Amino acid sequence: MKKIPVTVLTGFLGSGKTTLLNRILSESHGKRIAVIENEFGEIGIDQALVINADEEVFEMNNGCICCTVRGDLIRILGNLMKRRDKFDHILVETTGMADPSPVAQTFFVDHEMRDLFSLDGIVTLVDAKHVQLHIEDSSECKEQIAFADVLILNKTDLVSADELGALRARVTRMNAMAKVLDAQNANVPIAAVLDVGGFDLERALETKPTFLEPEYPFEWAGTYEVEEGSYELVLEAGPDPSMRVFAAHLPAGGAASDKAAAEHAMRVWANPPLTVSLGGEIAVDANEPTALPSSGPGTKRFQIRVPRTGRLALYTEHLPAEFRLRVLRGVVLRAPVAEREFAAGHTHDQEVTSVGIHLEGEIDPERLNRWVSALLREKGTDIFRMKGILNVQGSPNRFVFQGVHMLFDSSEDKPWGEGPRASDLVFIGKNLDRQSLTKAFEQCRV
Amino acid sequence: MPGLTTDPALAEVELQCKWRLDAGDYVCAAEISAEDQLCVIGTGDGSVIGVDEATGHERFRVRAHQGSVLGISISPQGTRFVTCGQDSSARLWNSRGDMLRELPGGGAGWVEQVAWAPLGERIATAAGRAVRLWNSEGEPLLETETLSSTVTALAFRADGSAFAVACYGGVHVWPFVPNAKARHLAWKGSLISLAWSPDGKVIACGSQDGSVHFWRLASGKDSEMSGYPVKPKALAWDRESRLLATGGGPTVTVWDFRGKGPEGTRPIELEGHQGVCTRLAFDAKKGILASGAQDTSVLLWDPRRSSRPIRYAFMPAALTCLTWHPENRRLMGGDASGAVAYWEPS
Repeated sequence: MKKIPVTVLTGFLGSGKTTLLNRILSESHGKRIAVIENEFGEIGIDQALVINADEEVFEMNNGCICCTVRGDLIRILGNLMKRRDKFDHILVETTGMADPSPVAQTFFVDHEMRDLFSLDGIVTLVDAKHVQLHIEDSSECKEQIAFADVLILNKTDLVSADELGALRARVTRMNAMAKVLDAQNANVPIAAVLDVGGFDLERALETKPTFLEPEYPFEWAGTYEVEEGSYELVLEAGPDPSMRVFAAHLPAGGAASDKAAAEHAMRVWANPPLTVSLGGEIAVDANEPTALPSSGPGTKRFQIRVPRTGRLALYTEHLPAEFRLRVLRGVVLRAPVAEREFAAGHTHDQEVTSVGIHLEGEIDPERLNRWVSALLREKGTDIFRMKGILNVQGSPNRFVFQGVHMLFDSSEDKPWGEGPRASDLVFIGKNLDRQSLTKAFEQCRV
Repeated sequence: MPGLTTDPALAEVELQCKWRLDAGDYVCAAEISAEDQLCVIGTGDGSVIGVDEATGHERFRVRAHQGSVLGISISPQGTRFVTCGQDSSARLWNSRGDMLRELPGGGAGWVEQVAWAPLGERIATAAGRAVRLWNSEGEPLLETETLSSTVTALAFRADGSAFAVACYGGVHVWPFVPNAKARHLAWKGSLISLAWSPDGKVIACGSQDGSVHFWRLASGKDSEMSGYPVKPKALAWDRESRLLATGGGPTVTVWDFRGKGPEGTRPIELEGHQGVCTRLAFDAKKGILASGAQDTSVLLWDPRRSSRPIRYAFMPAALTCLTWHPENRRLMGGDASGAVAYWEPS
């Protein structure tokens, strides 16, 4: 029997969950949808069955926080299956302050739930205007972002393009796997939130290829077409008191994100930076990065002298949007001809980050199982979500696995076919140590 | 039938079917009234069907609830029954299928539990975190305080002197004796089923974490039987309060309360189902246990004598209901496809 997909909607009060729910219900013609609303829910739509639930979080095993589940969901979903004519989709709306783990864990822990339902996706609505109030100090807010398969930055009409850019960079750093959508009044295409196929690692890899690359010490690389002469790099105060940059000439047709260029920049970055004062010069092709002061009010201006016409690469420690960084030729703003964000090596959100690991060669399932079990036992509270596509020794099929905190399950997926076989593993959580995770994963190779 | 004839552990005698019918949707609840020779069947589309017990002919069919029927309880006198469902109310009916009264649940939540008191003077319904009591005419008597969690099971003591509910965090027991205090049998876990022994001495509950927890009420002493592969939803006591049959996997585990047991004893393990056991019921006369499972099989056992099944039957889909006739040895089963079968063991 086909499992019934369940979509979980999370987001703080006022982020637009009810608007999105109404939109889904009124646009999903012909689908039989059951909505499980939190007790304060206010949906009233004829074409769907709406059930008000009292969110009851149960601890399962000896009070282990990783094994909390939503008892009300187990009961309600179990009872909803008591009909021949099954629902096509279930939507679960959580209260604003809810920690998403118990909902997600419900579909791992309970035998019946695991057999009958599949967690299609966790959709988190973020109020682009007001999220700043919570993102720093609310663990629920961080977890809702970290758990999401789809992140909707809602009410984008209430913020500037720069603010939106900074927010997008911020949430991407916390959760590199989620699909991030902009919306006003929760106006996202329904296909982007329903039947997204869960925690889709392939999609994440497709849309964010940098995610599994070596960790670069910079977050952004831009490629500029420049003429010989003077340029100005301008920035405003940002989240850090200084920002490192590095500028280099590129070969004709080259881009800053090209592997050779990026690796050169990474080597240069390893040297102690040269700190310049306001108005100072950023030397092109220097042997070290330049540290630009960025604290205090007022616009900060720096010079770049370009010795010859061609392409210039600019690498920045933080995303340009966070500092409103611009490159000017006289009074004319120069936009990069190409740019690329890199997965953050360092971050402001020490707590919530994503780590992706790509591994060639076959995996020994026994070793992997031992490692993952031990890892989750020790760090299960810190690892929010985990997902992998594995190239297991001796199997013609791909293995997929996913986990929520200490719980995980794996299953055989479609055959590899003609394409290259390799393993990808992704973690989202707190205090993740990329190096030790990579090393341990490498040891699972045959 | 799958794997049946080749498995020596299985019974060789098939149950004699008296009649079958298609109820039209998932069979959610099914009860038998001896007085009126009536089978009352509630389904997933909210229908309640009255069927003549002797012939299998439909006497009435009513749309009792919006959404699924969740429970049916027949009055001990057998002349009325009460139903509850996914439309936040319970309803009282006579045995001709005429609705006598609506018993509102008191909110938007489903009324998930209903039980008629053993002497017939009261009806209990549970919706969300509270229980309401009604007289036999369906007039409200009282509502309990709001509990800390939703009621998942409800039962009267066999003599009608108290009732108990299970929820997350333990069991609440309310006596009807004047000035007697309510009791809370605390246990940190999510209880999902409850069975009170016919002698009133033991309350047993299945727990979400794959265990069966029980309390001896006189001493307050509790014990836990753990290690079930899945949560034990099905529980049944035999008439003598000696055997407690429990589901929680394909194996039916029977605990013997004779002497100092069951603590420290090995249970009787009844193996025969291929899928998770969903329903258990002891007959009222001879201690015959009926078990039904997700694999569509129904098996009869005589657990005091043998751990091999003595009769078998198959339904078209996963078994959802299994009820003995209160006085004779007839058995009714219902399944997830809407099929109902009525057997008469020879």
